[in-house]
Amino acid sequence: MKTESTGVEATTALLRRFEPVIRSTRGDKFYPMDVEPYVRACSLWVQRPGEVAVCVVPGGKLSLDRLAQQPMDEAGAVHFLKFTDKDDLGPNARGKRLFLRRAKDRKESTRAFRAGRGRLARVGYFSRFVDALYSIALLARGRVPGESAAAASAAYERIMAERERYRYHGRVLRQDGWIVLQYWLFYPFNDWRSGFFGANDHEADWEKIFIYLSESKDGEISPEWVAYAAHNYTGDDLRRRWDDPEVEKVGEHPVIYVGAGSHASYYAPGEYLTELTLPLPRPLARVTQAVRSFWKTRLGQYVGDGDEDGGSGYFSIPFVDYARGDGLSVGEGGDRAWDVPRLLADPTPDWVSGYRGLWGLYARDPFEGEDAPAGPMYNRDKSVNRAWYDPVGWAGLDKVPPPTEKLEAVLEQLADIISRCGALRAEIDDKGRQLKKLGAELAAMRDRSHLDAPYREGTRRVVELSTELDRLRARLATDEAVSESLQEYADRLRAGERDPARAHISHAHRPASEDELRVSRVTEAWAAVSVSLMLISFVGIAMFEREHLISMLVFSIAFFTFVEAGFRGRLVNLVSSANIGLAVVATLIIVYEFFWQLVIASVLVVGLYVLWDNLRELRR
Amino acid sequence: MEPEKTSYRPVRAIGVLLILEVIGLVLLGGYEFLQVDWRGIDLESQQHQAVEVAVFALFVPSAILTLLSALSFLFLQRRGWLLAAIAQGLSLAVCLWLYSLFQPGYVYPIMAYCILMILYLNSQDVRMVFLPRQSHGASHEN
Repeated sequence: MKTESTGVEATTALLRRFEPVIRSTRGDKFYPMDVEPYVRACSLWVQRPGEVAVCVVPGGKLSLDRLAQQPMDEAGAVHFLKFTDKDDLGPNARGKRLFLRRAKDRKESTRAFRAGRGRLARVGYFSRFVDALYSIALLARGRVPGESAAAASAAYERIMAERERYRYHGRVLRQDGWIVLQYWLFYPFNDWRSGFFGANDHEADWEKIFIYLSESKDGEISPEWVAYAAHNYTGDDLRRRWDDPEVEKVGEHPVIYVGAGSHASYYAPGEYLTELTLPLPRPLARVTQAVRSFWKTRLGQYVGDGDEDGGSGYFSIPFVDYARGDGLSVGEGGDRAWDVPRLLADPTPDWVSGYRGLWGLYARDPFEGEDAPAGPMYNRDKSVNRAWYDPVGWAGLDKVPPPTEKLEAVLEQLADIISRCGALRAEIDDKGRQLKKLGAELAAMRDRSHLDAPYREGTRRVVELSTELDRLRARLATDEAVSESLQEYADRLRAGERDPARAHISHAHRPASEDELRVSRVTEAWAAVSVSLMLISFVGIAMFEREHLISMLVFSIAFFTFVEAGFRGRLVNLVSSANIGLAVVATLIIVYEFFWQLVIASVLVVGLYVLWDNLRELRR
Repeated sequence: MEPEKTSYRPVRAIGVLLILEVIGLVLLGGYEFLQVDWRGIDLESQQHQAVEVAVFALFVPSAILTLLSALSFLFLQRRGWLLAAIAQGLSLAVCLWLYSLFQPGYVYPIMAYCILMILYLNSQDVRMVFLPRQSHGASHEN
């Protein structure tokens, strides 16, 4: 892998030529800003294992230069910034102001932003139950204090009042024949949970958009791919080809729809259902997968249209990312223009490479969702971020040669395979001759009792060689088919044909469709109250119907499940699953009641089948 | 959507099997009914056999559902799948309930037939014929 940076002026010009247009959602309070005023407003802290967090640099004294001078520290220590101060959130005068401010923010936010129809109505019962547990767990986990969003909003407004500007942080590098334009967007606060019913809140938020350019032999640059970061996704599904109709553009500027509060980036406006999937324990997942495989392949049964291989996660918590694009837009043709970008290269600034800590409050959340992120170069655990050192591989582009190198790569691979075919043919000839000689040797030793031992050894060697020869011939046949395919592919490339733009995408993020959003008020209300109602009904049954506890519980679960399936249009799945359950129980009862009769019947059936098969052979 | 000609076979096969099930239920019910000396029943003391036969009436709703779904299949309409599945589930549920109460002998053949029908209705080929796959988007985990 080879990465190198380009010159400062060229870098800036290139970044500005393709800089994105961001379209946020109405109600969003934070926009991409420069890191300098943010850092100036922060204090720097260190949390050593088993100790109370200590302030290293107080608020107002910190600068980007000072941030880079991070002292050496013991293992397990976490450096972090604090944008909002806990003291501001207490019962003092400022705390009260912030409390009032939070109420005002909420009122304004409610006016500006209306949540889409029930996130909970879009997923199943178990997911809603796990969601309730997740919310309860937030009380025990470390989390960003409730007033932090209001405090961050006030601090952000102060910064913007000083000088309103919208800025991204840019980096241009070359890797594997691609020129990668990196747009790092810094937001002072992620208020997805407190503002938009999302998964988490945290101070500071680093988001990224990468554009991949190819350069022709005469130096002409053209954009080929874009990749927008959304949550922690990586790989092929992130990227789109520049000519993909899903990539909206204003001139040469790609348009990004930003998730409200989460700041995740999307290609199309809409409401995205994002599921946090909780995996099953590994042994249980293996057993489940084995059962599903047996059910599908051996019994030829239908396993549904979801994850047919049996995914490892069965409980998921739904969150909706609202990326409506109806709020402030920044960039070409937008409400606000970008300021000159702050460069992250030539050379890499010290505050990027030297500060490995978190860019906001360290909430000590074991799931890390409420902890602030690290900077663009690092992960929270201080390891180097893949998007920084391998932006091509991060978007799954490492297997895709740039257009200018594609034909060359195909021809090189073709030459390699042709050469391998030649070597395979020679090996097959050689081994074929050896096999014939061994066969002749065996024929000569047959029926010679004094040569029994070498005969047996020779037979073993013949079997081995024959198997090896078969494997080589199969490989040669495959290689010949592949080389033919490569030849045809090279011809198509020469004729100017391109691959399908979306062939690499297996699970595209797509906004909820009109049908999915058309959830009735009743369904929404049911989704909101059903888990609680079920739990209350359980308590009621336990208190007043102890005599019929089991049957009432079964009836109650069946009732809730049936109503739920009706609301979600899953009656077919429910009936199918219930039938399978009943069939399993009935089978066990029949086996229990008629075990010996079944054994006798099975033996009889086998005997009759063998008799029928043999008689059929006789008749031929 | 108009079904393809080749996919009519499972539709008709299920229709015939469901009709057979209804006939079987009627015959079984009739046979059980005739086994009891109804004139000699003493209403004061509940006779076990009479109760067992009387509760056979619980199969009437599922038999009606089965008949409706069978007719639906025989007229080559695919919408009867859910009806047929509900009928089989209902029959099996009644069987299991009766088994837990009296263990009457007639529940075993009904259970066995229902198990086979459920497996057939849920088999990949049949589900594909009756429930054409719809395209679904996938969401990623966060």
